[in-house]
Amino acid sequence: MRRQITLLVAATTSVVLLAFLLPAASLVASVAEARALDTARAQMQVLIPSVGLDERDQVTAALGGLSGGGRSVTVRWTDGAWLGTPGALGDAEAPVTPEVRKGADGTRLLQPVRRADGTAVLEMFVPEAQLRAGVTRTWLVLAGLGIALLLLALLVADRLARSLTRPVTDLAITAHRLGSGDLTARATPAGPVEVREVGTAVNRLAGRIGELLSAERESAADLAHRLRTPLTALRLDVESLPAAERERLMDDVDALNRGIDEVISEARRSVREGMGAECDAVEVVAARAEFWSVLAVDEGRPLRVDHPDGPIPVRVAAADLAAAVDALLGNVFAHTPPGTAIRVGVRPRPGGGAEVTVADSGPGLDAAAVERGQSGGGSTGLGLDIARRTAEASGGKLLLSSTDPGTRVTLHLGPVARS
Amino acid sequence: MARLLVVEDDERIRTALIRALRDRGHAVSSAGTALAGLREAVEGRPELVVLDLGLPDLDGSELLRMLRAVSAVPVIVATARDDDQSVVQALDAGADDYVLKPFAAGQLEARIRAVLRRAAGGADAAAALVTVGPLTVDPRSRRVTHDGQPVELSPKEFDLLAYLAARAGTVVSKRELLSEVWQLPYGGSDKTVDVHLSWLRRKLGESAAEPRLLHTVRGVGVRLAEPGQ
Repeated sequence: MRRQITLLVAATTSVVLLAFLLPAASLVASVAEARALDTARAQMQVLIPSVGLDERDQVTAALGGLSGGGRSVTVRWTDGAWLGTPGALGDAEAPVTPEVRKGADGTRLLQPVRRADGTAVLEMFVPEAQLRAGVTRTWLVLAGLGIALLLLALLVADRLARSLTRPVTDLAITAHRLGSGDLTARATPAGPVEVREVGTAVNRLAGRIGELLSAERESAADLAHRLRTPLTALRLDVESLPAAERERLMDDVDALNRGIDEVISEARRSVREGMGAECDAVEVVAARAEFWSVLAVDEGRPLRVDHPDGPIPVRVAAADLAAAVDALLGNVFAHTPPGTAIRVGVRPRPGGGAEVTVADSGPGLDAAAVERGQSGGGSTGLGLDIARRTAEASGGKLLLSSTDPGTRVTLHLGPVARS
Repeated sequence: MARLLVVEDDERIRTALIRALRDRGHAVSSAGTALAGLREAVEGRPELVVLDLGLPDLDGSELLRMLRAVSAVPVIVATARDDDQSVVQALDAGADDYVLKPFAAGQLEARIRAVLRRAAGGADAAAALVTVGPLTVDPRSRRVTHDGQPVELSPKEFDLLAYLAARAGTVVSKRELLSEVWQLPYGGSDKTVDVHLSWLRRKLGESAAEPRLLHTVRGVGVRLAEPGQ
């Protein structure tokens, strides 16, 4: 914007300056020429009476004192002889009225003078240098003035542009900070009225987002309290039952507890992520695979991890992605016999985001049950549910497919939103 | 064994807690609101307070601050909010420990005992140090040595080892470990405990195939014992 404003001012100033300076320069040239010719004419006027009335010798004497400064004056006498340097008129017909003849080297003024014995012609030569005396200097002064004015205009334009763009730039920085999750970012309203209004609106929006998030935090905390308090009472009651019933009911209490944990964790996702969830899928998945690798060794499972060298940014909080990968790997360990091979892969998706796969060569899962995200006794569904929610919250999805042999879970994770 | 005060607004939890703690030999008084709890804490002079953070009349952490102004009685906070911020806030406000809802009575009682032990002073510092064969676990400094060499453990690995070391020789179920060390409900197929046990084994220089200290008892749980036992 700053550049555009400066360019615009440069263009308009140049046009205005040219519109004034070109006519001025032309005027200066014609004024100088007119002045030189007027001076020459005035000198000729002095000679006219002498040429008209005096004798030849007297005229010749009078001519002597008039040439100078490059100018020269000469007279073609009535008999065609030149009294002084022969003029450019030569033997040509004498003009009837005074004439101005322009030549390459200068201008000649021809003045016919009638005498009793015929027509004499006065010829005054004004050289080009005299016609243009002082013009170049004036033109230089004009050009200098023009350049100075242009520079001044550019300086003022730059100042103005900066005063316009600084508030807009500040506003953009604030918006970027808000976008990346820093809800404390506020714009300082400044600059033109419109920009000030946008600044105020952005601040109000940021405040509102903060309020919404804190309301959500409150409601998540409230949800946790409301769900876990009765569960605590239930659990304490179950504990006081006879052993056989206690064991049976405790399984149900634990299942309920896990479900509630999941609900609360989901309710808290937006609070947890704030406005800018982002992590490197390669780093997180590689770290989780490394974490589970020791158990794979202990259980005799070949574990292969494929990932590119560079990072793949995805729109998921690192903790959420880690929990999702843990859930998927935990499922494989829990539901396939020791010795079953596991393959973990991360690769970029066309158009951004990542594809995370966890595959095994085990007996396979009950696809229908897990698609519904239902939690069976073995918690298979719940683990997949965590992963599915994480993928969907990032703008992606979870795909489940049977391979022969085994199962493959693929997480499509959305790319980081760039403003 | 100890005089306890339970400040909890939910009547069912209060009743169940009083019963469970009395069954374990404690003298228990109770209060249903923050102000009643404060009065009881000052007048009844309990040895320890179990405080619910979600009280109807006053936020539990506010009560904790007021209580701290007048008394140094140990406090265990019971909270349904498991986000780090709430837990840190409670500990900063002066809580000695916390339990997450839903908790088991046994879990609460273990924490009560630990806090009372700590409150009694460093007299049992030596008792807290556990030695199992070549392994020494010091819960106070959270340091572990194996054959005299320090072992680097993650916080959860340490908690797991310390829990097993405190019960050396007995088989501890995975359900108990998940509930007590992670404060998580058991799902029957959770492999969290297994993977941490694998890490512990690796760091202690042994494997599942050739265990020396950490023995898996298939279908029951895990046992930390001296080699050869």
